[in-house]
Amino acid sequence: MTGRNHDSRPPAAFILDEEKPAAKPARPEGRAKPRRAPRAMTDIVFEPEEVKGDLVTVPRSRTLPRPKTFRWGALLLSALTGLVALGAGLAITNLIDNAFAHAPWLGYTALALAGLVGLSALAIIIREIWGLLRLSRMEHIQAAAARAINQDDAAAADETVRELSTLYTHRADARWGLDRLADHQADIMDPKDRVRLAERLLVDPLDESALRIIARRARRVTLLTTVTPIAALDVLFVGVQNFAMLRELATLYGGRPSTLSTLRLARLVVAHLAISGGLALSDNLLQHLVGKGLMGRLSARFGEGAVNGILTSRIGIAATDVCRPVPRKAEARDTLASLLRELVMFGDKTEGKSGHDRDPNP
Amino acid sequence: MASFSRIMDETRIAAGGLKDFATGLVDPTFRLGVTGLSRAGKTIFITALINALTKGARLPLFEAYAQGRITHAILEPQPDDDIPRFAFETHLDQLTATDRRWPESTRRVSQLRLTMDYEPVGYMARTFGSGRVNIDIMDYPGEWLLDLPLMARTYEEWSHATVAAARLAPRAALAADWLSHLASLDAQAAADELQAVKAAELFTHYLARCRADGVSLSTLPPGRFLLPGDLAGSPLLTFAPLDVTPDTLAEAGSLHALMKRRYDSYVARVVKPFFFGHFARLDRQIVLVDVLTALNAGAAAVNDLKTALTQVMASFRQGENTMVSGLFGRRIDRVLFAATKADLLHHHSHDQLEAILKLLIEDAAARAEFHGAKWDVTALSAIRATREAMVRQGSEQLPCIVGTPEAGEVIGGTSFDGTREAAVFPGDLPADPRAALDGSLEGQIKFVRFRPPLIDGATFPHIRLDRTLEYLFGDRFP
Repeated sequence: MTGRNHDSRPPAAFILDEEKPAAKPARPEGRAKPRRAPRAMTDIVFEPEEVKGDLVTVPRSRTLPRPKTFRWGALLLSALTGLVALGAGLAITNLIDNAFAHAPWLGYTALALAGLVGLSALAIIIREIWGLLRLSRMEHIQAAAARAINQDDAAAADETVRELSTLYTHRADARWGLDRLADHQADIMDPKDRVRLAERLLVDPLDESALRIIARRARRVTLLTTVTPIAALDVLFVGVQNFAMLRELATLYGGRPSTLSTLRLARLVVAHLAISGGLALSDNLLQHLVGKGLMGRLSARFGEGAVNGILTSRIGIAATDVCRPVPRKAEARDTLASLLRELVMFGDKTEGKSGHDRDPNP
Repeated sequence: MASFSRIMDETRIAAGGLKDFATGLVDPTFRLGVTGLSRAGKTIFITALINALTKGARLPLFEAYAQGRITHAILEPQPDDDIPRFAFETHLDQLTATDRRWPESTRRVSQLRLTMDYEPVGYMARTFGSGRVNIDIMDYPGEWLLDLPLMARTYEEWSHATVAAARLAPRAALAADWLSHLASLDAQAAADELQAVKAAELFTHYLARCRADGVSLSTLPPGRFLLPGDLAGSPLLTFAPLDVTPDTLAEAGSLHALMKRRYDSYVARVVKPFFFGHFARLDRQIVLVDVLTALNAGAAAVNDLKTALTQVMASFRQGENTMVSGLFGRRIDRVLFAATKADLLHHHSHDQLEAILKLLIEDAAARAEFHGAKWDVTALSAIRATREAMVRQGSEQLPCIVGTPEAGEVIGGTSFDGTREAAVFPGDLPADPRAALDGSLEGQIKFVRFRPPLIDGATFPHIRLDRTLEYLFGDRFP
């Protein structure tokens, strides 16, 4: 072979007779790398990484790395938790002992109840861990998808498509998309096109539902804020509604939200909001107009309600970016303006017959 | 003088642009420029595109179509009365007949209008749009495209460049006859019609030999010398380059003056009408490049292809569209460079093929980008004639393509009769695309032509035709 930096196998032809010999369709195993002789490669010129056109960014922003000092606070909390658990365990043991001393049947009942407590605690812990694992898996898919789209990376694209398929295997609403995707598995496509196809078939149909979820929660927040008699209560309502929305959105895109993972999700959403918030100038303008302007003049409470509703919508949009397994291009992202249509719709049967859902439209 | 003719040209474009704008108000019409030198696959691309859209092919990446928003696509009756209609049905018959042939090379201009009805999704499009898009596509002999650079050159400049090129290595042997006749001519002698005819004849011979299969050179203007169309025997074609420098002045009554006059009228009466009639007001452009045939012929052919592409692409109006350009002649705001016949390679090599193409069009692409147009490259096969297979040979797995090579094709000592199926390994494309230009690939790769595929439905398999359509007009279905 020559000393160039490419291997040069001579062109060849193989006649296929009736019973086709070793040639088997390259479809599933087409990825298998042909075995090539080891050889040294010199004077390779590496092309600079091409940055061109529409790149996507993964919305997750990892929090800053913490300074590597010993975390006394964490130790304190862990020790306290340990103590409380120990105390609770002791108390329960004592309780059971007492119950046995009182009457054997009472003792057995207490033991059974304690067993149930332990079992359910275990189940909850497992569910939390599972939820967190699922969340990190979603993050992993997002990273792979971004790599496939930005760098046209074939391995990342395969991984994204495979992960997306398993993520949605058991969902009835994704059956059609999965079938279509399987149809095109053997087609020759560029890696980023393959990801885009999977996104269009599996993820895009969910975006509409996501908008609806956000709009419904935003309307509810507006209503609750407007009619709540005590100002302190509406903070609670808004919080609860927002967490419920986060869970709904995460479930929609294939997450398994539990308490801890929802909290973590909330932190990611807030981080994402802080980054993207600066860009949403027009949204802020709208907020001022609605909150302090017309709506506020009409009724102070209603104005506050409208502002809370808009805030909820913005949290919802940020949450969509965080939960969506395939990151979207900047221009395809939802903005408050694209939500308006959903917000002001009167046709929604479950919600809003009154004027409250007209709020962000001054 | 030159600036006056440029003003005239711009006026012509503006007038045509106004007409386009007025007719476009009713039904948006969209001109797709299918550009490619001869044998690049223009006719096959157009046939495959129409067939795919009208018969419902699998186009998963053409989004408006895959989502079912394009309700139907039909061929309109020919809108222009003085241009023949593209013979879509004839080409399709040839491809699907029992003896499956590729369409013959195009010999004249033809045109076609494809109309697509779609369901608009955007608010503006739903309220004000008609939900209908016309796509005008034109087919023409690729040789004629080579004429476009002549518009910007004087006779002396062209003569000088052509004679200089003919004296260099790959061409010198082919041009021997013509060059020896050229040496006997005196540019300043009195004009002699017979000498002009003889020179044109020898020059035409030389051009034809440059194009033969083993040589496959591309930069061969004027295009009508190779394919005269309805101009065969016309005095417009009886001129040839003379050995003059770019600043020589033609004396009245000399051979030089005669040649110059004919060259100028060739540009004015043949090249400009062709350009302004078909290329001046395009919306999107696809440039089909047959990289594989050039690779077969060697580095000289690849270098020549690069020169030809750069020169031809300099004639097109590219750039961002504004309100004003919408009125007075739109510009091409998106260009897709496609390496055709990608089915002659295993898809593992498509990235390398795209890299070579990128190297060939780097100047043209830089120009497009400078003017604000978007561009991309792709490896395309509008009609896929092969399928893929891995063949084990000893300890090596070779990525092969399987199909029926055309009769007379030879590879690695095996020759084909046009009926036997074979798995072909065409050789590895280089990881560094520059190897294609510096000659170190000589004899290491060989692409054979395959017969059209046997199909069981109404549509052809393809490679990335859907991605191509999405890039070219995916945004025209708002």
